[in-house]
Amino acid sequence: MADDGDLLCRSHADRGLEDQLFDRERHIRYLEMNYQILPSPYESQEINHLTLAYFIISGFHILHALDRIDREAVIDWILSLQAHPKNEAELNNGQFYGFHGSRSSQFQSVGNGVSVPNNSHLASTYCALAILKTVDYDFSLIDSSSISKSMKHLQQSDGSFMPIHTGAETDLRFVYCAAVISSLLDNWSGIDKEKAKNYILSCQSYDGGFGLIPGQESHGGATYCAVASLRLMGFIEDDLVSKCTSSCILDVPLLLDWCLQRQAVDGGFQGRPNKISDTCYAFWVGGVLKILGANKFLNERTLREFLLTCQSEYGGFSKFPRQLPDLYHSYYGFTAFSMLQETGVNSLNIELGISTIHHTNI
Amino acid sequence: MLGRIDRGEVRIIGVDGMDSDEDERQLLPLSQRPEWSDVTPVPQNDGPNPVVPIAYSEEFTEIMGYFRAVYLADERSLRALHLTAEAINFNAGNYTVWQFRRLILEALNADLHEELGFVEQHASKNSKNYQLWHHRRWLVEKMGTEAAVGELEFTKKIFLNDAKNYHAWSHRQWVLQNLGGWEDELAYCNELLEDDIFNNSAWNQRYFVITSHPGLGGIEATLDSEVNYTIKSILIKPENESPWRYLRGLYKNNMQSFVTNPKISTLCLNVLTSKVNPVFALSLLLDLISNGFEPNKDLKNAIEAVIPESNSQNSDISVTICAILEIIDQMRVNYWRWRKNNLHSQVAEGVANLHIH
Repeated sequence: MADDGDLLCRSHADRGLEDQLFDRERHIRYLEMNYQILPSPYESQEINHLTLAYFIISGFHILHALDRIDREAVIDWILSLQAHPKNEAELNNGQFYGFHGSRSSQFQSVGNGVSVPNNSHLASTYCALAILKTVDYDFSLIDSSSISKSMKHLQQSDGSFMPIHTGAETDLRFVYCAAVISSLLDNWSGIDKEKAKNYILSCQSYDGGFGLIPGQESHGGATYCAVASLRLMGFIEDDLVSKCTSSCILDVPLLLDWCLQRQAVDGGFQGRPNKISDTCYAFWVGGVLKILGANKFLNERTLREFLLTCQSEYGGFSKFPRQLPDLYHSYYGFTAFSMLQETGVNSLNIELGISTIHHTNI
Repeated sequence: MLGRIDRGEVRIIGVDGMDSDEDERQLLPLSQRPEWSDVTPVPQNDGPNPVVPIAYSEEFTEIMGYFRAVYLADERSLRALHLTAEAINFNAGNYTVWQFRRLILEALNADLHEELGFVEQHASKNSKNYQLWHHRRWLVEKMGTEAAVGELEFTKKIFLNDAKNYHAWSHRQWVLQNLGGWEDELAYCNELLEDDIFNNSAWNQRYFVITSHPGLGGIEATLDSEVNYTIKSILIKPENESPWRYLRGLYKNNMQSFVTNPKISTLCLNVLTSKVNPVFALSLLLDLISNGFEPNKDLKNAIEAVIPESNSQNSDISVTICAILEIIDQMRVNYWRWRKNNLHSQVAEGVANLHIH
């Protein structure tokens, strides 16, 4: 019997069939390795430390392996990154009181009279809350009103959001962050939804997709931010392709056609027309299709095949086939397989970007 | 001295301008550089139980320790400026460092042209870094209209290496809208499309120009020439998605004109009767028909000829088109099948839209 087994293994290897399986165990080991310690090259992304943690911790959850983390340590660490106003007056000083993305942007005043501004950031705040939601932290314990009240200082007159009050670029990514933060906190006082909606709509390009800023080329990531935000804010319903009439605020048929055309001949998704397929767009564009109720129109078999060429022998996923994996593309590889309903992979709340399934035995 | 005080301005000497002694010192750990001997680095407080720890290199740890010290002391000096450059080398995404650099530049009343040079140096390896582009915009905002030409040149240089760099296109659009320089933009789009007719960024820029250029008169004024240009481009490479989308975009709020323009149906006929990829032509015809277009006999024959077997008993040409697309655009077979089953609602909606306009 052992001989038969050996024969079977060898012929599997010969035919490359090993490559055709989603290797959940290996992905978990990849996440474990990074959870233990992030290799030195990641220091160049240290400012986004929380985001890297989000990819790992939410990644574990999606792969049904949340028991690999130290829940209490994670919670303590995240909460220690929160910026707290000293008093009610500080909440109105124009600063945003959210979460810092890293220790390198979090400063403790040294008592020399110099006031140190907080550098908390919208994207980090999203990641912090997403992780806390993932580990099923009791949100009533979070000082959410400071976050929401001060978040409105970041909204610009055109409806877009700046991620940090000290000054930065404003675009759809941060509208999305604001919307998902509000959704997770169930507190919409930090965002003028009508203005945000108008900004989003002004980003829809002539071809149906959305650019990151008005006038810009339509892009898979921007399109996800636009559609997910509109959904979170309640401006569009689920399953629009079945329901939408001409009264819909979006040009749904054009958007649908644009999204579906992003699936290239190799089965993968591209971020823009005439660009090469990249793992992450399987989530960004696939996610939009799911929200629209149109994921049944994408070709699952060839997408799966493409993604598996990006699956690394070290675990995780790379951007392009047969390259080294990174945490970002690994995470979106996992979410893509979640949408493909891979066995052993948790289902996802597409708009929140995390799994909201909770088991009692984590 | 790492700089020279000249009429109240501080000139920041770029890496190339430094003498070799300075270079040597630059490579030494900060703790061994005499000009930093008065500063005690502030260590990072990782807390008792750091989660997902990073294996920081010694150099990174040291640089950030010194940065923390000057940041907390709010020291806006020349040496602090150079320190931010070193910190940026380690983490080009660190917005706190970039922001402090801006505060220092203001405090020192620095020469912003030099700083543009600094950004340009970093642009080659960080051309997709949001903080770098934001810093550039901040500089240009301060410099005003005089910077316009330089920015158009700068983005052109970026496009030589990557004609689709999204950040560069955002920057270029912002420069045009805020500082002007529109005159040659359409010609530049032509150039880029001659290089690569598949460059979707260039097609998008074209649309941006015809809708936002204050002197062109908007889409209405340029419609005919743009339609001609686009049709020519389609015929060169009919499998290119970009010009098809662009053509449709030209008629965004004008579906009735789109449906009745004979050039559009001629284009589709041309494409269908050549031995080229007919997918986009068929898809366009499907949309036109659902908006009231009625194909003539030639067009119907050409459609049916794509896959002769598809010419079933069905007299509804839309059904035929969908059936063909199910076969030749296999990737989206489920979509075309769904379109086929939902033609009636699409037609009703399309006709209703016509009446509104």
